Amino acid sequence: MAEGKAQKKPTARKPAAASEPVEYAVTRNPDFPVGVDYYPLDEERRSWRDWYDRDVASDFAAMAASRVSDVRVFVSWRAFEPQVGQYDEDAAERLERIVEAARAHDLKLIVCFFADDRLAEMNEVPWGKGRDPRTDDYLIQREISLVQRVVNRYRAEPVIKAWDLGNEAFCAGFTTEAALEKWVTELREAVREVDPDRPVLVGTDPETLLRETGVDPRGAIDLTERAWSHLTAPYRAYIAEGPVTSGPATYTDSFLLRAALRGLPVVVDGVGVHALDVSAAEEAAYVRTALYSALMNRASGVMLRRWGDLETEKREPYFRDPFEVLVGVVDVTGAPKPTLAEVKRFVAVAARLDPRRYALAPERAAVVVPAERYEPLPSLAGLYDPRACLQAYIAAKEAHVPVTVAREGDPLGGYHVLYLPSPAKLTPLMWADLGAFVQGGGSVVLSYGGDDVDPALREIFGVEFNGDGGPRQAFSCRIAQPGVLGDLRSFDVRMELSHHALITPSGATVVATDATGSPLLTVNQYGQGKAVFIAAPVERAIAQNDPWATPTPVRHLVRTVYGTVAGAAGAGALLECDMPEAEIAHFLGEDDDILLVLSHNAEKMTVTLTTPRTVATVQDVRGGAPAEVGGRTFGVPLGPNGVAALRVKFG
Amino acid sequence: MTGRRSSQLRVAEELARRGRLSAAVAACYEALAIDDRDPFVHALLGHLMLEGDFYDEAIEASTRSIELDPGCSPAYLALGLAYDRRGGMWDQSVLVWHELAEVVPDLVTAHVQLGEAFAAAGFEQEAVDSWRRALELDPKHSRAQYNLAIAALKREGMSTALPTIRKAGELDPSQDELFFALLGLPAARIEFDAAQVKPERGARLAAAGMLLRREDFFAASDLVGLLLGENPADADALALAAYAYLKQEAANEAMACALRALTYSADLPMALYTLGVVYSRFPGLARHAARVFIALAKAAPQHSLTHVLLAESLLGLQRYGQAKQAYRAAVRLDPACVRARFGLAAVRLTEGAYAEAQWEIRRAAYYDTRRQGTFWSLYDAYAGEADA
Repeated sequence: MAEGKAQKKPTARKPAAASEPVEYAVTRNPDFPVGVDYYPLDEERRSWRDWYDRDVASDFAAMAASRVSDVRVFVSWRAFEPQVGQYDEDAAERLERIVEAARAHDLKLIVCFFADDRLAEMNEVPWGKGRDPRTDDYLIQREISLVQRVVNRYRAEPVIKAWDLGNEAFCAGFTTEAALEKWVTELREAVREVDPDRPVLVGTDPETLLRETGVDPRGAIDLTERAWSHLTAPYRAYIAEGPVTSGPATYTDSFLLRAALRGLPVVVDGVGVHALDVSAAEEAAYVRTALYSALMNRASGVMLRRWGDLETEKREPYFRDPFEVLVGVVDVTGAPKPTLAEVKRFVAVAARLDPRRYALAPERAAVVVPAERYEPLPSLAGLYDPRACLQAYIAAKEAHVPVTVAREGDPLGGYHVLYLPSPAKLTPLMWADLGAFVQGGGSVVLSYGGDDVDPALREIFGVEFNGDGGPRQAFSCRIAQPGVLGDLRSFDVRMELSHHALITPSGATVVATDATGSPLLTVNQYGQGKAVFIAAPVERAIAQNDPWATPTPVRHLVRTVYGTVAGAAGAGALLECDMPEAEIAHFLGEDDDILLVLSHNAEKMTVTLTTPRTVATVQDVRGGAPAEVGGRTFGVPLGPNGVAALRVKFG
Repeated sequence: MTGRRSSQLRVAEELARRGRLSAAVAACYEALAIDDRDPFVHALLGHLMLEGDFYDEAIEASTRSIELDPGCSPAYLALGLAYDRRGGMWDQSVLVWHELAEVVPDLVTAHVQLGEAFAAAGFEQEAVDSWRRALELDPKHSRAQYNLAIAALKREGMSTALPTIRKAGELDPSQDELFFALLGLPAARIEFDAAQVKPERGARLAAAGMLLRREDFFAASDLVGLLLGENPADADALALAAYAYLKQEAANEAMACALRALTYSADLPMALYTLGVVYSRFPGLARHAARVFIALAKAAPQHSLTHVLLAESLLGLQRYGQAKQAYRAAVRLDPACVRARFGLAAVRLTEGAYAEAQWEIRRAAYYDTRRQGTFWSLYDAYAGEADA
C-alpha cells in the first residue's frame, strides 16, 4: 500500500489469517499489580472498636472478581494494644481473618502499621498521654514491640507482600527530616530483625509531603525497598486545580510518578478523584487516565484510593470531609461504580504486558527540577518550580519525547537532552555539569527564570545577559531563522510574563525575537552539543496563567522546541503522531511492539501514527482480529480520554 | 489595629504595587522579622501569595492577619478569594464573605463572591439573594447578572437564561471598545479639539471615532457628514454612522447604514459588528445575527470578543456545540474574558458537565476580581483608618 494512503482505522478490520494464534485472557499481571486501600471502618457512626469488624471475606471476593490483586490494610495500634504491653486477642483474630480471606481469594496484603484515616483513631492509644508517637522514645519502643509482634506472627505467611511503616497522613506529622529518618530507621530495623526478606516501605510521596509539611522525605524513602507516589487533594489544588479530564490534571499522576522514580520501584498510590463535583463518567475517565499513565511511565503497580464509600452520618452536612469518604470504587451498598469497570478493563490490558517480552523505550530526555525547589519561603522558587516543571513535562509529552524527571545534582550521563524550565538560579556545580554535558554532546533547553544569571550562560549559551526587562502583559514572537528549531511561527498573544531577559548574542544564533527585536530564542553550538535559551520563563508563564487556556501558539512554540532539540539529539519520539494531546508509550518487543496511546483530551479524536518501518498488522492487545496496514501510517480513533492498546507487527 | 506601618512594610507595599512579587514577599518577611504581629504584613503577604496562586500560603497568612485584627478587611478579601480559587472549601468561603459583607457592607464584590460560594455549595436560593443584593448596590454589575443567568439556566433552562445573558453582555463596556479597536483607535484616550482636525480622510475618521467613544454624537456626525459629503460611498464613514445610530437606539437607521457600508466593502469589520449587534437585538433575526458574526469572526479573528458575539448568537439558535467552539476560541485569545468564561460555563451546563462549568465560573471570578483591584482599595482604606 502506498505510503500516506495507508490510513486504516483499526475499527475497520479485515479478518486475520486463519493461522493467527488465538490468545486467551490472562487475568492479572504479577509484575504490575492493581491494588486498593481497604480502610477499617465503612460507616461513620462506628468507633475505633469496630476495626475491620465486618464481612471482610465478601469484600475480598468482590475484589478478586474485579481482578484486584493487592490490598493495603491498616493496623490499629489502639485496637491491638489498648493497655501498655497488653495485646488484644480479638484484634489479632480480626487480622487473622483478613489474612485468611486474602489467602482464600488469592490476594496479597500490604500491611500498614501506622496510618491516620481521620476516623478510626488507629494511633490514639489512651495511655500515650498525648505524646507524639513519631518522636517520643517510649512510644517508639512500644511501636517497635507492636510491629515485631505482627511481623513475627506472619513472617512465613506468603499472603503478606510488604510492610508499610506509615501512610502519608501519619508521616505529615513529622516536622524534621531527621525525626522522620530516625523513626523509619528504627521501625525498619525492627521489621528486619524478624523478617529479613519482605520489602519495607513508607507510604509517602517525596513531592506531596514536602509541599504539605516542608519535610523532604527522600532520605527516609531511601532507607526502604519500595517507593510510593501519591497525589493528594491539597497538592492537586496547588498544581492543577482545574477540570480533571483535561489539561495538566491528566498529567499530574505520571509527573509525580516520574519524580518519585529514583532507583526504587514505585507504586502509584491513591488513584482516584479528590473532588465530588465530577460526574461518575468523569471520575471513571480520570481514573482510566491515571491507571494508564502509571503503566506508561514505569510504575511498578497501582493502588486505588479506596475500596468502598464510607456511609456518612446524615445529621450534619460536611461533618466528615466528603473528599475522603465518597471516593471508593464501590458504593455503600457494595454496588460497583463505573470506575470499577475501568479498573477491570485496565487489568485485562496490563495483563498482556509481560515485562520479560516488552520493554519501554528508554527515556533520554529529562525535565530537571532545580535545587532551589527545596528552599523554604520567602524564596518563591519552591512554589514556582514544580508548576513550571510539570508544564515542561507536559510539553515534552506533547512532543512525544520519551521523558522523565531528574533533579539538579543527579548524574546526567544517561541523558541526551535536559529541559530546565524557568529556574531563578542554578548552583555553580550545576552550571559546571551543564557545561560538561553540552560539551560532551548533550543538548540543553533553558528558559530564563528571573534574577541575575551565572556568567557561564555566556560561555554555554553564547548570549550576553544585560538584565531583566521586567514583567510584560503580552507575549510576542518573531521568527528570525525559520526551520532552525522546527516549524516555529510568529505570534502575538495576551499572556503575562513575569520576566524577560534582555540578551545580545555573543556566538549564538538568534532563532526568534520579541516584537522589539530583542532575542527571544537562541541556539548555540557548544562543544559537541547544543544549548538553547528562551529569554522568558515560558513554562512558568503557562503554569501561572490558566494552563487550561494557554494560547495555542505558545504551546506550539514550547513543544516544537522541545521536540526538535530531542529529535536532533537522538532522544526524540520513536514514531510521529499528529495529535499533541495523545501520549504514547512504546513497548519494544522482539517479534512485535506494543503501543499504548492515551488521550489527554475530554473529546474524541483520531490519532494518526507514522512509524519508521512498514506496519504489517495492528491488533488490540486483548485479542481480536488484526487489522492489516501495509504502510507506515495508520489511524487510531480514541474516545474522550480514551486509550488504545495495540500490538503492532512490522514487516 | 497597628497605628504605624514599618518602613520594611512600605517597601513591600511599593514592590507589590509594581508587580514585583518575589521581592515584595522577601520584604514582607523582613517586616515580619521586626514585628510578626503586624496584621498589615500578614494581609499583604496573603495578597501576594494569592497573586502567585499559592492558595494554602494565602489562607495561612490571611487567617493570621484576621486573628491579629478581626477588622482587617483586605485580609478577608484575600482569604475568601483563596478559599474560592482553591476549590472544595465552600463552607469556609461562605463564612468569610459573610464577615466581609458585615465589615464593608457596601462592597459589591463581597456579595457577588458570597453568592458564588453559596452556589458552589448548592445553596441556590441564597446565592440568588446575594447577587440581587449586589445588583441593588451596583445595577451595572455584569458578573452578578451572569451569575443570575447561570442560576436561571440551572433552574429553567437556556430559554430563561438567554435574556439575562444578553442583558449582562450589554453591560459589558469592552463591547464598545471592540468597535473602536476594529476602527484601529489606540486603547488610550486622547484629548483633542474637534475644530482642529486636519481636513484629511484618515484624521477625520480617527477623530470621529474618538468623539463617538466620548459619546459626543453631534461633533462626530459633523465629521462623518464631511466624509460622506466628499465620498458618499465611504464604507468606513458609513460604518461610523451606523454605530452612532446604534448608540442612539435608532436600530433601523443603523441597519441601513451598515448594510450600505457592506455593499461597498463586503467584509468591513466595523459594519459587520454594527449590523450583527442590531440583528441580535431582534429575537426573530437571530439566524441573521449568527451569519453576520461568523463573517465578523473571520474578518477579525484576533479579537476575542468577535468570537464571543458569535457564540452568543449561536446560543440563541441552540447550537451549543458550535457556541462552545467559539467561546473556547475567545478564551484562548483572552483567558481573562469574563463574558466568554460565563458563556462557556452556560454551554458546559447544557452538556451536563457541571465540574467544567464550575471551573469556568471560578476563572471568571478570578480574572474579574483581579481586574477590579479591590484588594488595594480595601488595603488603603484600612491603612487610612490606622493612620487616623
